[in-house]
Amino acid sequence: MLDDVIFWALALLAVAAGVMVFRFDSMARATYALLTSLLCVGGEVLLLGLDYLGVVIVLMMTIEMAIMAVFMVMYMMNPAGLMPMTMVHNKKGAAVICAAVFAVLAAGILLAPWPSRRGRASADPTRDLGRSLMGPQMLTMMTLGVALFATIVVTVVLATRRGRYDRFGDDLKARTADDPVRGGVGR
Amino acid sequence: MDLRTRLRSRVARRPRVFHVAVPGGTEARLGVEAELRLRGWPVSGTPADADLLIVCGTPRPHDAEWLDRLEAGMPQPAARVVVQGPARAAQALDTGAAALLTRPARAHSHEEARGGGHDGGHADHMDHDMHDMHGMGEVAGLPMAERADDRDQLRLDRLHLPLGPGLADWPAGLVLHLALQGDVVQTVEIGQLPVPEAGSPYWNEPWLRAAQGEEIGRGVAARRRCAAHLDSVGRFLAVVGWEDAAARCRRLRDEMLSGASRESIGGRLRATMRRVERSRTLRWGTAGLGGLSARRARSAGVTGPASEAGGDAYDRLRVWLREVERGLDELDDAELLGSGHVLVGPRGRLDGERPPSRALLDVLPELLTGAEFACARIILASLDPDLDELAFAPTAGAAHG
Amino acid sequence: MADAAPLWATAVLPVALILAAVCAAGFDAVLSAAAERGRAGTVREMGVRAAAPLREGLRLLAQQPRRTTAADTLLIRLGVALVPLAAVLAGAVLPWGFRSVSDPSVGVVWFNAMEALSWAAVWLAGWGPNSALSLIGGYRFLAQGLAYELPHMFAITTAALGAESLRVGEVVAAQDGLWFVVWMPAAFVVYLLSALAMAFWGPLGHPLSRDAAGGAAAELTGVDRLVLLGGRWLLLVVTAGFSVPLFLGGGHGPLLPGWAWTLLKTAAVLALLVVGRRLLPVLRMERYMESAWLVLVPLTLLQALFVAVVVLNR
Repeated sequence: MLDDVIFWALALLAVAAGVMVFRFDSMARATYALLTSLLCVGGEVLLLGLDYLGVVIVLMMTIEMAIMAVFMVMYMMNPAGLMPMTMVHNKKGAAVICAAVFAVLAAGILLAPWPSRRGRASADPTRDLGRSLMGPQMLTMMTLGVALFATIVVTVVLATRRGRYDRFGDDLKARTADDPVRGGVGR
Repeated sequence: MDLRTRLRSRVARRPRVFHVAVPGGTEARLGVEAELRLRGWPVSGTPADADLLIVCGTPRPHDAEWLDRLEAGMPQPAARVVVQGPARAAQALDTGAAALLTRPARAHSHEEARGGGHDGGHADHMDHDMHDMHGMGEVAGLPMAERADDRDQLRLDRLHLPLGPGLADWPAGLVLHLALQGDVVQTVEIGQLPVPEAGSPYWNEPWLRAAQGEEIGRGVAARRRCAAHLDSVGRFLAVVGWEDAAARCRRLRDEMLSGASRESIGGRLRATMRRVERSRTLRWGTAGLGGLSARRARSAGVTGPASEAGGDAYDRLRVWLREVERGLDELDDAELLGSGHVLVGPRGRLDGERPPSRALLDVLPELLTGAEFACARIILASLDPDLDELAFAPTAGAAHG
Repeated sequence: MADAAPLWATAVLPVALILAAVCAAGFDAVLSAAAERGRAGTVREMGVRAAAPLREGLRLLAQQPRRTTAADTLLIRLGVALVPLAAVLAGAVLPWGFRSVSDPSVGVVWFNAMEALSWAAVWLAGWGPNSALSLIGGYRFLAQGLAYELPHMFAITTAALGAESLRVGEVVAAQDGLWFVVWMPAAFVVYLLSALAMAFWGPLGHPLSRDAAGGAAAELTGVDRLVLLGGRWLLLVVTAGFSVPLFLGGGHGPLLPGWAWTLLKTAAVLALLVVGRRLLPVLRMERYMESAWLVLVPLTLLQALFVAVVVLNR
């Protein structure tokens, strides 16, 4: 009973906050509405008994939204959202895409032949989830992880205008890098 | 008596103070700081956290605007007092505390909501010639950021931020107009409040009076120099965020000015200087900021410790520390400052064409451009220009430009 | 393994945390008054100085709050309230002796997630008032965030790895005999350092530092200010307190009961931080950032590797 109440409360809050992302006219509010929505989803996962996944969603989403705010400051140094701005672009197209995606997902939920439970729920679903993901596909997961990480590094390297020749001179012989700001380990 | 009134009367016994100096108010500021310490009243770093605004020095009509803005930035109940000289500090503090008690509580927040734009945080109330700013839109009476290329040539928002004069640990009367992109200072324009012509700058007094033929002991001059450097070191440490050491320096400064003997102050002074000098964290944090080579300093006309250091912010700090220790040995020197003596005040030669702080202000833009906000504050504190000097061009007699 | 505490503990927890925070702040006030005005002459004077945080609290309560122009009040309120809330929620997994309000199977991760909320909170509080200095204070925390969080996370993970469990109670139980600090000294030091960062206090207090006129708190008045600054002390108490179950053996110790050992150890860690804060300036952000990435992250990874090898060979 209590679980049902919590489920519905979190679900409604998640949807409401999700809607508010598009209704608010301030980037900061929109970001935090999205965060609220995602935290509610984390709560739902906790409710399912997947403690680890739930808490990790809370942790990761908080950090993610916080990092998003850094970019927000870069592109918008006006605090408190002085200039009202719309969070929606290409309204018609977006509406069509959203409706279509929603319809497909909803149809999927309703039409998919969900398996019925065989046996009992395990005592530690996190461990089982981890095993089924990582067990037979350990190599795939590790390759994927390294590939993702390499992508991030390469993207950053390609995006920076200053390379090592700018920092250490044409013959790369400068003892200290020519950086606009000096770092903390004596470079 | 209801609860709020009782609380308020408790607060009035020990209000939290925000103090700013107007140009020419150095001596009054020192008096106020000494009196605050004696009473144990807490000192705030922002008007929003203060009950009592203390204006050190004699404000003139044009100061009214920014002082009013500062006061408007304080939560109610708040009061403002003016301390014109160190002798009146105690009395003025009492007046301020009494005013806090009698002041009727205004419905401050409502009034503000209606008025709109009468205060916009620091971005607004530190500014006083916002109107010549370059083509910014305004929303709710506040300036908006605009786009510009950053140092990596990305087009990002640029915010115009006037800093000063109503800022804690800030040279009295200085206004810096910064253009910030993120944390990086893109451009700096230096502005200042007009400096009164009357009276000589407090920190240079002994030398200037000696130049006019008065008999001033070398000990007196050494004492003033030590105190001036301790004041600068205190401000530097406060900006760096080492409150403990800053508080010690300021206490030593006040003891120095109140005539403490070499024996009574020497041990503690040396210990404090040693502690600051030996701090590796401080060195790690401030070395490499605002490098000013001796050659560049000379060509810009910088003469004092900044020129002698010929290096970064940390080197300048070290020169101060060294000069304080050296000055300690001269405290009891009864010999007079001879008329042939070179006129060197705490910030440099006083017999040049321009006051030493003018040269410090001139090199400021090149040092600050490209620095991050926190570094910019440290670099400024490591030069610590004294704007009181600007009105007073002693021996050359030329007015500053 | 820790038992779940009775329900009344939930009500006691915030009170206990606030008490501890007031004591720590009082101790800090005594030390800073000694630097400013010399040693207290009498016991009475000492008491007056120690009561400064309480006086400050009353003062803020008596103030009428002030609003800046075009401020986003909702965001300020949210940010300010989130700080103490995050501290108390994180405190829920703190074992007192061998009992905590709640001992979920992922307590260690829960603790870290709640700490991360304080990032988001400080940024909101800095953004909301529509003031440039306050914004600068707010984004300082965010920009530094990953440099704080990664070493912190690795340090915490190392302790969990040593106990082979994410349950705080089991981490404590694993230290019966040998405290983790003995064979994970690097993780312990990094934890303390980054705990200061998570509580944005002391040497890592740039979000609220003086060079930006109080940073994220520059425009906060009255109750808002009280809640944010009080929340910061709560966070400090909680993060310092969590080093006890993670590295210092929790309630384990001879003669005294578990709760007394927890109290003693927590007080010792807090005293160390408060006294240490007096000896250090605020660490320069961008330099700490580079050191965090180039020194602390590899250091904690090596520490974790060492612990992992030991655990595998057990």
